[in-house]
Amino acid sequence: MTARGVLAVVFRLQSVFGLVIVFAAAIVFSPRRGGDLVFLDSQNLFNVVRAISEIGIIAVGMTLVILVGGIDLSVGSVVGLASVGAAELLTSGWGLVPGVLTILAVGLVFGVVQGIASARFRIQAFIVTLAGMQIARGLARMWSGGEGVSITYGDGPGQAPVPFSLLGERTFGGVVPIPALIFAAIAALAVLLLRSSAFARHVYAIGGNEKAAVLSGVPVTRVKILVFGLCGLLAAVAGIVHAGQLNFGGPNDGTGYELNAIAAVVIGGTSLTGGRGSVSGTVAGALLVGVLDNILQLNDIDSNVQLIVVGVVIVLAAGVQRLRPAIA
Amino acid sequence: MSATTRHGAAVAGLVLVSALAACGTTHENAPGAASAGAPPARACQGTGGKYTIGMSQANLSEPYRVRMDDDIRRAAAGVGQFTVHFADAAQDNAKQVEQVNTFLTQNIDLLIISPNEATPLTAVVHKAYAQGIPVLVLDRKVDGEGYTSFIGADNVDIGRQAGRFFADTLLPHGGKVVELRGLAGSTPAKERSAGFDQGIAGHGITVAGTADADWLRDKGQQQADALLKAHPDAQALFSANDPMAEGARIAAQNAGRADLPITGIDGLPVPEGGIKAVEAGRLSATFVYPTGGAEAIAAAKKLLLDCRQVPKQQTLPTRLVTRADAAQVYTDLNRS
Repeated sequence: MTARGVLAVVFRLQSVFGLVIVFAAAIVFSPRRGGDLVFLDSQNLFNVVRAISEIGIIAVGMTLVILVGGIDLSVGSVVGLASVGAAELLTSGWGLVPGVLTILAVGLVFGVVQGIASARFRIQAFIVTLAGMQIARGLARMWSGGEGVSITYGDGPGQAPVPFSLLGERTFGGVVPIPALIFAAIAALAVLLLRSSAFARHVYAIGGNEKAAVLSGVPVTRVKILVFGLCGLLAAVAGIVHAGQLNFGGPNDGTGYELNAIAAVVIGGTSLTGGRGSVSGTVAGALLVGVLDNILQLNDIDSNVQLIVVGVVIVLAAGVQRLRPAIA
Repeated sequence: MSATTRHGAAVAGLVLVSALAACGTTHENAPGAASAGAPPARACQGTGGKYTIGMSQANLSEPYRVRMDDDIRRAAAGVGQFTVHFADAAQDNAKQVEQVNTFLTQNIDLLIISPNEATPLTAVVHKAYAQGIPVLVLDRKVDGEGYTSFIGADNVDIGRQAGRFFADTLLPHGGKVVELRGLAGSTPAKERSAGFDQGIAGHGITVAGTADADWLRDKGQQQADALLKAHPDAQALFSANDPMAEGARIAAQNAGRADLPITGIDGLPVPEGGIKAVEAGRLSATFVYPTGGAEAIAAAKKLLLDCRQVPKQQTLPTRLVTRADAAQVYTDLNRS
């Protein structure tokens, strides 16, 4: 492999290298307790993975949208809407499966409508989803009457089906948090989907050069609507996970999550102009932010400094991406 | 596409490696979350020990909460055995849960928490308590009994005191007031307003109009502007916190009512806080709503150093501040 080829691989895997560096730094800077590194404590690592699972699920959908050259600012509000909706339905006598499916449908439809507005009616995705952000937040507040909805479990009236509490008890086999498993499954499906399917070729083609994609017969409008639909669906999944983890549906919850998801995508090396990037990069990007947050808190770094550090990492990641076309 | 494959494999590998590394250090299983009974008490080491305290703050975008952290920092500086770690949840329930979990893996000796909202934080607070870690809940509550002590002032009572001040001092012969409320749906907003109604009841005072101003100064100005236009005969204005009251003062001046009596709540002893506003004559009065920071460290000392119990519920006294005593109260509250 030539030097140029090596560099190309480095750039393609930037977020993985970034994650390795941050992970190594976290080990170096980890506080010790009785000779053990607190950072490597299994509970700590699984807490990190659990903590990023909601943002990670959203970021998988966001990656698809950004790959086709779009953006979705509504996902944080959809998390709030879905968490309130799940809490309301499950505590008002709905069964687990119909309740969850209904909320998933709400997210899917919300995304599809935004996809239609942006792809068919050619309104910029930024504008469409900015409006969607306001609309979903308004719907969430209306649905809940402006107040959070607590979830208790049992068979009685006003109680949610007991299996839903698995999300909040957070562990499978005593260690692995269920939300992390859901995130891992979704990420794996998305990686498979983007590996070799016709859908994946269409997504990359649209993001690379939309005109050329149209000319070569890619059903651009249909693919875009599907991508926005998937993004809305995954935001709803995150909202359901959110409600389950917290035993609570909050109409104001999920605020700012869209920006955290975009950050994970950007750190993951996906180009905001579309056409280039990967879900696995996004997963690494989300993990990187999670590890960074964790090690900063473990070392009692001021929360304002934490914000600055994550900001610097985002700029660095984007900067590395700008260097890339010149070399690779 | 092969690049994507390799990329994916690398991540999968890394996750696997970290998971394996994690397994190597596994020595405890997650304990059951909420336990109703008394937690296994940890042996108290007394004054000879070194203690790490985790302080989980709901957000630092309100001056009141910044002051709460400062009060804790200042009080803890006087106790050589204490190291306090601070976390800011930025109004995000999920983030606050994560931060408390991180404190637990750090093996803190005591948790202080001011929860963003009650229900979402209940499970993790119970988890800490069930591990034998004393938990002090500040200002906002959690559900159930799974904590060591709740320390906070009474919002209904502070509203009632404000109402009485209107009845006794501002409008002894009755009259019309307008009211600025906090964020709709939030407990303190409801409780302060309900308390105010109790305080003025039976004194011939009527609330001519109310508006929600979300605790914010700029919104307070807008809403007061509208209220004073709709009710030009209002003789005083009650605001559920000081920043909204400061906004209302600007609106009153713009409306040619520079002398309109306005009161707030919070009474933060900081230069831009309500006590200074009272001293400068912008507000007729404010009511000190203590942060509980110093009291939390006092409770931590009792629990960790003196090996004593603390009461389950500590209701902090609130107090009226008028121009006559503002300077004195300011000095008193800043003397640690």
